Amino acid sequence: MMNNSLKMKSFSVSLLQKSSLRSLFHLPHHPRTIAQLLFSPFVISESKTTVPYIPQPYNLLKSEISGVSSDIQTTIKEHPSTLLLFYNDFLLPTIGFRHFCSQPLVAQPQPQTSDGLTVDDIVANNRWQILEETASDWKSHAASIAQSIQLIKKRLQWKQLVVRLDTLLMELNKPNLWDDPVHAGKISREHGLLMGKMKEVNGFERELLDHIDMLKLAREENDNELELESMKALLKMRRTAKEKELEALLSGEQDSCSCFIEVQAGAGGTESMDWASMIMQMYKMWAQRCGYGVTVVDEMCGDIAGIKRATIKVDGEYAFGYAKAEVGVHRLVRISPFDSAKRRHTSFAAVAVTPILGDASSRVKINESDLQIERFRSGGPGGQHANTTESAVRIVHIPTGVTATCQNERSQHLNKAMAMSVLQSRLDQLELARQAQVNAQYTQSLTEISWGNQIRTYVLHPYRMVKDLRTNYEVSDPDSVLEGDLDGFIMSFLSASIDKDENNL
Amino acid sequence: MILNFFPCLIRYSIFTPLPLFFKHQNLLPLSCSINFIKPISSSSSISAKTIQVPLFLKPPIYSTTILELKKFQNWAKSLSLSIGLKFLNLDNGPESNLLCRELNWLLEDVVEGEEDNPTGFLTLGCSENERLVRMRVEMEELYDLWKQRIEERRPFQYIVGCEHWRDLVLSVQEGVLIPRPETELIVDMVEELILKDKEMKQQGVWVDLGTGSGALAIGIGRLLGNEGRVIATDLSPIAASVAAFNVQRYNLQDVVEIRMGSWFEPLDEFKGKIVGLVSNPPYIPSGDIAGLQAEVVRHEPKLALDGGADGLDDLLNICKGAASFLKPGGFFIFETNGAKQSKYLVNFLNIQMEGSFQYVNSVSDFAGIHRFVTGFRK
Ligand SMILES: C[S@@+](CC[C@H](N)C(=O)[O-])C[C@H]1O[C@@H](n2cnc3c(N)ncnc32)[C@H](O)[C@@H]1O
Repeated sequence: MMNNSLKMKSFSVSLLQKSSLRSLFHLPHHPRTIAQLLFSPFVISESKTTVPYIPQPYNLLKSEISGVSSDIQTTIKEHPSTLLLFYNDFLLPTIGFRHFCSQPLVAQPQPQTSDGLTVDDIVANNRWQILEETASDWKSHAASIAQSIQLIKKRLQWKQLVVRLDTLLMELNKPNLWDDPVHAGKISREHGLLMGKMKEVNGFERELLDHIDMLKLAREENDNELELESMKALLKMRRTAKEKELEALLSGEQDSCSCFIEVQAGAGGTESMDWASMIMQMYKMWAQRCGYGVTVVDEMCGDIAGIKRATIKVDGEYAFGYAKAEVGVHRLVRISPFDSAKRRHTSFAAVAVTPILGDASSRVKINESDLQIERFRSGGPGGQHANTTESAVRIVHIPTGVTATCQNERSQHLNKAMAMSVLQSRLDQLELARQAQVNAQYTQSLTEISWGNQIRTYVLHPYRMVKDLRTNYEVSDPDSVLEGDLDGFIMSFLSASIDKDENNL
Repeated sequence: MILNFFPCLIRYSIFTPLPLFFKHQNLLPLSCSINFIKPISSSSSISAKTIQVPLFLKPPIYSTTILELKKFQNWAKSLSLSIGLKFLNLDNGPESNLLCRELNWLLEDVVEGEEDNPTGFLTLGCSENERLVRMRVEMEELYDLWKQRIEERRPFQYIVGCEHWRDLVLSVQEGVLIPRPETELIVDMVEELILKDKEMKQQGVWVDLGTGSGALAIGIGRLLGNEGRVIATDLSPIAASVAAFNVQRYNLQDVVEIRMGSWFEPLDEFKGKIVGLVSNPPYIPSGDIAGLQAEVVRHEPKLALDGGADGLDDLLNICKGAASFLKPGGFFIFETNGAKQSKYLVNFLNIQMEGSFQYVNSVSDFAGIHRFVTGFRK
């Protein structure tokens, strides 16, 4: 009977990659633990208690998820309060059931090998030298992995993570938590997310130490086969660890969001406006390369060439996480094509980036009555008198004075809807800045970016190079950069800005 | 084919004031006055034949290289840039920025590209120049279309055969007024009303007088959903066919019915039963017509624009009809030429037609012009 109910719904392992799944719902390897997933509010909690109608709790030891199928995702959407219980590859049929029993898992002792070695020990004093992968030296692999783990922890801002998790846990254990379901949902979602991250790293650390133990054992017992196997596993971990380093760069709460990118020409007339449009083109091409969707939201053209300002919407995972590295002033040095005397000119363009928050509950609520909606660039009697394809609107949020315009949609209705979404993200960003939840430098709006805040220089004459003033990263081929090859700049900035902060570990 | 319509037209002399009568002379034969109104079924073969399919719906059976398209783009762009502020200063026409934007949209409609970035290939480097792209018109015609836009001031919407209006893409062609952005707000107001008052949605029929491309009727039909019923009327056979085509495209043939005839004339059976009445009738004073922007005066139908000496002929007609056709509590909203007409109408509805209406108001558009008059039948 038990088996039947367990097998009621088997599901395929494919839809979500195992790794992303782990970070979503990392489940404990703790014996005697039943993993429970409670959605909307999305909570991952653990329990040593057994679910009442499963007769043999011991059958459920060491539950592990290895995939989430699309039909389960549908279930989650349709029955938001359903408890999903997994056993091996099976989804157990359960009904709405809430259980919270969160123990402070956070303050765990640092994991060690059987002879007391920790990851920190391995990295400290370069105990084991890191060689090329091809050197096939297990100590080198292990050291490289340990180093990655440290870097990942740093990038995840480990200390803050631990503190935050404690705070969240305290909140979660309050008996009146569910009096405010929206807040509760937010808290439990964040808890689930951070917990997932923490466990992923801890699990990875544990895995490394287990392999080290295994290797030592294999050597003691001259078990070649085991040694070879562990070597392979370590090499694989070493490669995964490198990928995880990159992933960890984008662990900010808004990083996974889509975003708006805005460019504004600096002083200097046509020359600067032309530069602004080159920069905008660079971002369009960058976004296209990344496979993001690009929509022009708003564009104010220069009188002769280029743009005064423009906004594009970049749709896709981690668009904000990457694009935020571009916030600031970009400087161009070249012989101006607009100067008949062929003199060298320096022009500036400012870039701002706004995340589009996916989670509706964290968005600022806008009151209709606080809005003033105007036809943009209107004139004349309008109505039947005029035939025009210009249907831009400007929305002013009266209490804050924040405005948004959209003119590139083909109907007024859609222009208004797009302007509203721009306004929404500006107000969200304002609110985030107020709560100081994100690093202040990314939350600057265009008007706040000071022209002194130069982040990168592009020189086309007398020599050719692009150099980031924050990281000193530079390349000698401006054309490729202007065609959207920005990854080097973005990555070096992201790692530099996070890794140099000693407080993060 | 249009001729087939004529026998089933129109007994419009009763409602139609004289100037309007003359205005119609060249459009309609004056002989017929048959009281039989045939609803235009959208599946009828008649409508299909008079309709011009918008570019974006045509099959992509032509092809050209990216290089050729770039050449066209450059040519068309410099033609547009050469206009500068000329049209704007002349008659409030489009300036070159706007023309350039239209050019992009034309390319979007004509070229078969990727969905979220249809003209993205135009920014590709030279190495892609020889790549073929599929097109919905021939290259030669494309040049011709842009020449018409600039040299003849043919409205962009007639060139591409459609107008994006609210969240709709409506087919339009010569002979049918291109719906204006201001008019979108009528649907917003109706939406607000039926959200507040469910009865307005279920208890009775909605009517759009002078439906043109069907914009208002379709917008409202979509709000009402399957339980709703909208009757849209127009005097112009082309408008009626285009409206029917658009209704069909949005699969609303069971909700929106198009009838040909003058204002309330085809609606006899609904006297006292209409729960909501919308109209954007011709309201431009006859004397202003000649001075309108070239796109309008040279290309759009006079029948859709000319509202008689002070532009109020049709509006007053409709106001009077509203008193007998709306059911008690029924709602109306009319578009006007602006403050002067709105003020006049508010006054007219409150005083001349005393006792018929309540909560009569004028409402502004996004440019701050008193564009609409709204109210309820007592
Ligand atoms: C300004 S257009 C409005 C079209 C459409 N409702 C819109 O908003 O886009 C006026 C419409 O009224 C129609 N019309 C003019 N005289 C009419 C009459 N006597 N009876 C019915 N419709 C008439 C015209 O054919 C035209 O389609």
